[in-house]
Amino acid sequence: MLKYTLQRILTFIPMLIAISLLSFVISINAPGDPVERLAKSAESEGSAQEQSGASKKIKQELRKKLGLDLPIFYLSISDLSSSDTLYRVQDKYHKSTLEHLTHKSGNWQLVSDYYLELLNLQKIHLTLNSKEIYNSQQTLDLNTINEAVNQVGFEINSLLETSEDELMELALNKIENNLYEYSFFNPLISSFDNVKTFNKNLLTSDSKWKTYIPKINWYGSQNQYHLWLFGNGKDRKGLLRGDFGISYIDSQPISTKIWQKIGISFSLSLISIFIAYLISIPIGIYSAYRKDSAVDKGFSLILFILYSMPSFFVGTLLLLQFANPDNLAWFPVSGIQDPTLFDPEWSFWTKIKHRMPFLILPIITYTYGSFAFLSRIMRVGMIDIVSQDYIRTARAKGLAEGKVILKHALRNSLLPVITVFAAIFPAAIGGSIIIEVIFSIPGMGVEVYNSILNYDYPMIITVFTISGFLTMLGYLVSDLLYAVVDPRISYK
Amino acid sequence: MSTQNLENFSFKKYAWNQFKKDKVALVCLYLLFLLIVIAVFAPVIANDRPLYAEYKGYTLYPAFSDESRTDSIFTSDGKLDEILQYDITDWRTLDFKKVIWAPIPYSPESMDRYNRDYVSPAGKQRFKNKNGEITDAPKKFRHLLGTDGIGRDLASGLIHGTRISLMVGLVSMGIASLIGIFLGALAGFFGDNKLKMPRIKYHFTLIGLFFGLFYGFGHRKYALADGFSEGILSGMTELVISIGVLVLSMTIFRLISRLIKFKKLQEETFVPIDTFVSRGIELLNSIPRLLLIITITAVVERSIWIVMVIIGITSWTGIARFTRAELLRIRSLEFVQAAQSLGFSSARTIFKHALPNALAPVFVSIAFGIASAILIESGLSFLGIGVPDDIVTWGSLLNLGRQNLEAWWLIIYPGMAIFLTITIYNMIAEASRDALDPRLKS
Repeated sequence: MLKYTLQRILTFIPMLIAISLLSFVISINAPGDPVERLAKSAESEGSAQEQSGASKKIKQELRKKLGLDLPIFYLSISDLSSSDTLYRVQDKYHKSTLEHLTHKSGNWQLVSDYYLELLNLQKIHLTLNSKEIYNSQQTLDLNTINEAVNQVGFEINSLLETSEDELMELALNKIENNLYEYSFFNPLISSFDNVKTFNKNLLTSDSKWKTYIPKINWYGSQNQYHLWLFGNGKDRKGLLRGDFGISYIDSQPISTKIWQKIGISFSLSLISIFIAYLISIPIGIYSAYRKDSAVDKGFSLILFILYSMPSFFVGTLLLLQFANPDNLAWFPVSGIQDPTLFDPEWSFWTKIKHRMPFLILPIITYTYGSFAFLSRIMRVGMIDIVSQDYIRTARAKGLAEGKVILKHALRNSLLPVITVFAAIFPAAIGGSIIIEVIFSIPGMGVEVYNSILNYDYPMIITVFTISGFLTMLGYLVSDLLYAVVDPRISYK
Repeated sequence: MSTQNLENFSFKKYAWNQFKKDKVALVCLYLLFLLIVIAVFAPVIANDRPLYAEYKGYTLYPAFSDESRTDSIFTSDGKLDEILQYDITDWRTLDFKKVIWAPIPYSPESMDRYNRDYVSPAGKQRFKNKNGEITDAPKKFRHLLGTDGIGRDLASGLIHGTRISLMVGLVSMGIASLIGIFLGALAGFFGDNKLKMPRIKYHFTLIGLFFGLFYGFGHRKYALADGFSEGILSGMTELVISIGVLVLSMTIFRLISRLIKFKKLQEETFVPIDTFVSRGIELLNSIPRLLLIITITAVVERSIWIVMVIIGITSWTGIARFTRAELLRIRSLEFVQAAQSLGFSSARTIFKHALPNALAPVFVSIAFGIASAILIESGLSFLGIGVPDDIVTWGSLLNLGRQNLEAWWLIIYPGMAIFLTITIYNMIAEASRDALDPRLKS
């Protein structure tokens, strides 16, 4: 048994790594730039002008804190043309542009020259101030100047984010037109000429062959995956030590948010599974015992129908029937407590009593699905057992029928039912999203739902990873329970 | 059974006869055909353009024409009278000489502005007639099952939703079956100790795989992305090219491996294909499926096709497990061994001889899979995740009902549609399981 447990735990480890890799791959493919999202949620007041300088610094710090200035994984496979320092480029869009340009030209050096010169051009452009130009020139009106400066700025930005030949040409032409039309652009001209030559070099580069030769880069433990999983020993502790990152919505640590919500989801799923077992085991036993009787057939049909009923349909129907002033307003429509009455000082039982009416419909919805499923498993398992020889023996030696069924048959037919128990833990963290949304229960399900609607990826990925871990833990526990319930399973 | 019957005995016939004995399942099968008919003919059953119309001397078939079509109507003396833009014309207000409307004269997305704000099936419904007067809706133009908040016809939404639901089942389970049957067959047939190859060939295949992925997918990354952004067809073409590169690269390296003749490297080694597949199944099973699908849909574009693909690539494990178990049993049967001893290639033995005899239980698993794919898709639409807002599905209709409990018709009818479809598939699956393998009968 001990050996089996150890062996089972050993196979557990590669699976955990695989799950963590899977969720990491999903998370780095999430659209949008996390830094922009976080900076937006952190920003409070102040005009755009004032902020641009400050927010750039904030963003830089955030990027460093999130480890986005590190390579993604321990190693990467690229081709000979590509750079091994590309990950240092901060902007996500610039990064993908550079990557594409390198792929097109096959020469990172040219791309890097072009990019640095473009950045230089942008820097010079930022020093232009329409007001000062207006004051010094007086020949043009402020609007024209503003428009020209903005257009050039816009085109420089679009150059930084495009790798299409035609788009680059278009942007270059537009800048050129503006540059030679207005004399106040003079400081930009030398830099712009450089950009143009570098761009031309890029497009006529003849080292395309380099992209056909694969190259493996090794980065060591200084990478995003390592940081995400193990932390860096300083400000980040890593997933394994309970640091799940911060939410994009309100910049709060995800672990705090989860701890606030998990209680309600966990209790709901525990209560429901308990009730489901309480109903389904007797029903399963009875239908198996009276197999093919009218009662069994009736039960079977009802269970089959229940099994095919989507939980969101049942939940909505219950709301329609029992929480609707047009029909029967027996239960409240949403939430788990009445905020006007609820008092956190109440004793445990008063709280339960207060919450009861809120929880009845969700628990019914939660229960019925697993109950139909469990009863069907129970019935099949029981029928299988009842036809076994040892049951016939028990009957033959004159044991009371009740004893045969409840003592001899029941224990063995519980086996398949145990498996379902493994699902409780992940159900608690993922919450039953649909049910919690229908009844507006402030648990993990609604939390996950909201994070999906708001593209709060750290939350989604955390929930995903943890439920994966917990499901596997559940399998482990149920495998070990199997061994306890059925001594024949010896696991060597 | 007479000898005559025995001679003509075929398993298919036997299974069909067994299936027919289950009357409920037979009814379900007919209902499924009905659903398929509804899905195929949805644009003819529910359309706000007439099927046939005679208008100012012209004969038109608006429902069968493209939405973007424009007709110029000339008077008898050749002057331009009217321009009919098919997508924006309000056909109900035209003065036809003769007209045949679809049974439900509304399209799922078209908004009837006279019947907004949840008009109930039995309630008062308004209609703008040819003279521009607002009257009670004539029987033909009543919304049989009511409307939603922006005046979309529920009956029409349900008819067109049938299409999406059946498509979801078909496409996602098609993908899942391809992956599941292929991997399951390999794992079951070869196990861990049947696929032998020289060590050099094994390693060279892996190298070929690496280069194939590098050239087929790494190097063609932008070509693939461009293809898919252009459209599904060109994307698929690019994908096929990439897969071709992958296969070509593996073949080339396998051929090269034959040229290397070191004795030590030619030793046979086992390929533990069963372990790979079983671990993959275990991994995928250990992730809550709905959560996995939701997580992936959260990071990709919103599209019904992508949802189908995601459901497909996450639900092949059941099919793979059944196929594997069947092939483990079948591979030791005489006819498979006969095929092998005749010197047939492994591929031919598996796909021509072993697999066709293993598909019966797999079929059952696919049928159950379709039911659960439809359930997942409607659950996602119900939550408004993954499926775009402008596509009317059963789940999205039910969601509208949840947000407005007074509109009971938006809860009962779509809910019943989902429930019935899932029941039909489950019933057929159960009955065919009983028919195909009486041992499993419960």
